[in-house]
Amino acid sequence: MPRILTTKRGNWTPVLLLMPAIVTMLFVVALPLIFSLYTSLTAYRLVRPETLWDFVWFRNYTRLFTDWDFWVAFGRTILFLTIALNLEFILGLGIALLIARITWGQRTLRTIMMFPMMFSPILVGFMFKFIFNDNIGILNNALQSLGLTDRAIPWLVDAKLAMFSIIFAEVWMSTSVFAILLLAGLFAMPRDPLEAAKVDGCNSWQVFRHITLPFIMPFAFIAMTIRSLDVARAYDIVHVMTGGGPAGRTELLWTMIARTGYSDARMGQANAMAYVSTILSILFTWYFYNKLMAARRYMGGVQ
Amino acid sequence: MTVAMSRPMTAPTRPLKKRAQSAALWFTTFLLMVIMCVPGLWVVLSAFRPNREILAKPPIWVPTEITLGNFAKIFGFGAEQVGIPVTSYFMNSMVIALTSTVIALIIGMAGGYAFARYRFRFKGGIFLGLMLFRAVPGIALSLPVFMMWSRLGLIDTQMGLIIVYVSLNVPFTIWLIDGFFRQIPMSLSEAAQVDGCTRWQAFWKIEFPLARSGIAAAGVFAFLTSWNEYALASQVTRSTDSKTLPVGLMDFTAQFTIDWAGMCAMAVIIIVPALIMTFLVQKHLIAGLTFGGVKG
Amino acid sequence: MTLKTAKKLSLGVAVAALCAGSAVAQDFGSFPGYTLRVKLIGGAQYEPLYATIAEWEAATGATVEILSRKNHFELDREIKQDIAAGTLDWCVGSNHTSFAPQYGNIYTDLNALIPADVLAGFTPLMLEHSTVDGRLVQLPRHSDVSNMFYQKSLFEDEANRTAFEAEYGYPLAPPETWEQVSDMAMFFANPPDFYGFQYVGKDEAVNGRFYELLVANGGAMFDEDWNPTFNSAAGVEALSFFVDLYEAGAVPAGVPNYLWDDTGLGFASGTVAMDLDWGGWSAFFNDPANSQVAGNVGVIRAPMGSAGIRTGWSGSHSFSITEGCDNMEAAASLITFLTDPDRQIIEARMGILPTRDAVWDTALAEFEASGNTFMTEVFSTFRTSMAEDAFTVPLIPEWIEVSNVMWPEIQAAIVGDKTAQEALDDAAEAAAEIMSDAGYN
Repeated sequence: MPRILTTKRGNWTPVLLLMPAIVTMLFVVALPLIFSLYTSLTAYRLVRPETLWDFVWFRNYTRLFTDWDFWVAFGRTILFLTIALNLEFILGLGIALLIARITWGQRTLRTIMMFPMMFSPILVGFMFKFIFNDNIGILNNALQSLGLTDRAIPWLVDAKLAMFSIIFAEVWMSTSVFAILLLAGLFAMPRDPLEAAKVDGCNSWQVFRHITLPFIMPFAFIAMTIRSLDVARAYDIVHVMTGGGPAGRTELLWTMIARTGYSDARMGQANAMAYVSTILSILFTWYFYNKLMAARRYMGGVQ
Repeated sequence: MTVAMSRPMTAPTRPLKKRAQSAALWFTTFLLMVIMCVPGLWVVLSAFRPNREILAKPPIWVPTEITLGNFAKIFGFGAEQVGIPVTSYFMNSMVIALTSTVIALIIGMAGGYAFARYRFRFKGGIFLGLMLFRAVPGIALSLPVFMMWSRLGLIDTQMGLIIVYVSLNVPFTIWLIDGFFRQIPMSLSEAAQVDGCTRWQAFWKIEFPLARSGIAAAGVFAFLTSWNEYALASQVTRSTDSKTLPVGLMDFTAQFTIDWAGMCAMAVIIIVPALIMTFLVQKHLIAGLTFGGVKG
Repeated sequence: MTLKTAKKLSLGVAVAALCAGSAVAQDFGSFPGYTLRVKLIGGAQYEPLYATIAEWEAATGATVEILSRKNHFELDREIKQDIAAGTLDWCVGSNHTSFAPQYGNIYTDLNALIPADVLAGFTPLMLEHSTVDGRLVQLPRHSDVSNMFYQKSLFEDEANRTAFEAEYGYPLAPPETWEQVSDMAMFFANPPDFYGFQYVGKDEAVNGRFYELLVANGGAMFDEDWNPTFNSAAGVEALSFFVDLYEAGAVPAGVPNYLWDDTGLGFASGTVAMDLDWGGWSAFFNDPANSQVAGNVGVIRAPMGSAGIRTGWSGSHSFSITEGCDNMEAAASLITFLTDPDRQIIEARMGILPTRDAVWDTALAEFEASGNTFMTEVFSTFRTSMAEDAFTVPLIPEWIEVSNVMWPEIQAAIVGDKTAQEALDDAAEAAAEIMSDAGYN
């Protein structure tokens, strides 16, 4: 059991070390957060600043609870997140394992693997918007040229296909994140247990399942947590590709919030929505945090 | 050891099986790489083709015309338009991304070390709290940040955007570096201290090199996040004093004409430096394999 | 426009500008040492005008500081943020007739600032569109309206003519009514390779298209008491146009997700027979480097709806001056300069429609003289439309919000989730709520 330092009374080292982080977050995030909370209790409209003082208590929130469209979007966002994160994890793990086994040209391969991360989310949105365009997009063109279909498949219109398209775009953009993290974790893994296992006659699958996987799970959970917080970047993709449509079929929380807040200029209502969706983020984070702690306990590490 | 006895030697089939496995491995990797790269490569290729060809139907798979005209337009050599101040945007992006990455890494290392090595009150709470701050959707933040920044005179300054990006990256860097520090046994640092190093020296000599892969990974992510970020940048920047490449890219797309080829050219300008930067950092992503011997 | 022609034109402009230097100094006042802060709309087609700002600076001694140069939606967001944060410390901003009503009173009434003889040079209808609540809040820089572009070869083809007449009972010619458009679209369509028509399918875009067809069919958005009336028979007829074409596969299946770039690029790719689109696209459609249909594009005035009215949804890009501006004369001088005949002709040459009658005349004369039959045809068609058919959306602050509840319903009808009547009724209900919340009734 690795020993760790306990703080004696008056040992301020860890606090000092953490100060910069805490200060930064408080300054940049906490203050705006409080402001947002305040505006969610008002009927604040962007273009009429005097409405900032128009206190309506919880009216924005009660309106939300009876707003069916909001809850559908909420559910759809959960679905989107769940599918995307799981796919990114599995694919990322697969890629990381494969690349870890190859020795020749590693550096180039790793750079290629990170290629999608070089793309700004809005660029990814535009790129897939054109690729999935039913009339002049290269995907349909390719399918037709290869004779696989004679229809123009409406990737961005049909309910299921549109969800598929935005999930595909999001997974394409972010799988590399998982892959590189898991790869770094694989490389940081001590070799001894692996060799010992092989020597004892375990096959590859057993080695993977019982040694490799538990070791890299903490990294996976870190990645998942950050990705689930960060997946609001998917807003750019969805906004450009479908705008939440058609007919609200791909409406996620963020497109709804942005439209309400900026296009309709109903900032107070938008912030109320944002707070409700923050609960969603917190739930995901909480879930993965607990998984992370459990994984660490399993590995017998520091807590 | 029972190794030699327990494994039957089947010399003739083994090399073949191994080669087949290796081939399958290469093939699968290749396929995945292709899927990852094709959309991106299409963008890069489109940058060198005229609009007419890119969107042709039936599609023109083999380019008949390769042109640098799209790039010329951006830099202002086309007859009709003024160019985009790409060099300014590039410098801004570079300065802002690098600075915010370095600062985020420093804060991240300090914080990660604190979490990995110490036990203190509210530790779990602070840990979770840092992450939960990140849970706030950007939409809820963007207007208040704008208001605060404009009162502080940070709008349209590089520093203003750097501060925002640091806060964006800090939770992730802390978590990641913390994870890597935990894998390094305390005994190594203690051994060094027994030999006469201070904690500080031990950190730089022992723990820092061993966690290199984690720090490098965190650095790469922070850099790419800052390099590619759009939403907050468009809030906080206004002119060539601080505008970054992604914002410049969006400005390039007017309401009516999406000059797809021109946009691809701009995209190439954004991608290439990121690619070069990543390639250079690659070698630090492999952890020192030597430390694996001590489990502690 | 080829590189060579454009180069010649720029050279010509530069020379003309030099010659006109002294004349410029005379007209635009003198503001030495003053810095004028502006926020402008950015984008490739708008840049050439901004190159002339240097002349104004030279003539007046002032400096122009361009604080922002963004695309339209981003600029709108930025201005709203400025209103919210109280950071309206700039003088001149790019504006648009569809967006102007939202901004309240931050912009000053130009009737009081700009002399009547200057205003007289603008097409009266354009000034009317730029007036909100009786205040002239913006000076129109260029306007746009949509007319029908089509592939000439399709209509001239003998086989097509015979087949069409046999099937529909009247001769094939560029369409005069929207019903004819529907017939011809279905005739030409051959999915997935070719389509008869296309339209934008989301955001304010589809709402605008629905609105103009509603008006062309004799309907109206609101009645005098601001109750929504777009779910009338005329409205259902208008929406059914979109729905029927979608069901028949005469338009690409992706139209519910199309915006202006998709339709523009779609027509340029040669896969669509007819396209109702903005005048600003005409140069693009006829440019061989960008368009597969260059040299084969015809344009005809927008078709009529069932009430004999032509569709004519129009908007103008413009300049506005903030109430808080510290030097109104300088600001007025700049926007007068940017919209005066010598500047508008620069943009007109690129196919951007002017807002001054005199400039229309000059541009048309130039196109005719240089033998550019396509642009001559485009300009004369669009000139007539601008003068006679053009109308704006209801100039009320709630337009965008109402639009945002309408277009998802329109989409629902198009893709078949609801009937046209159901969709419009639901939209009317939501719109009525918005209007009553805002205090209209």
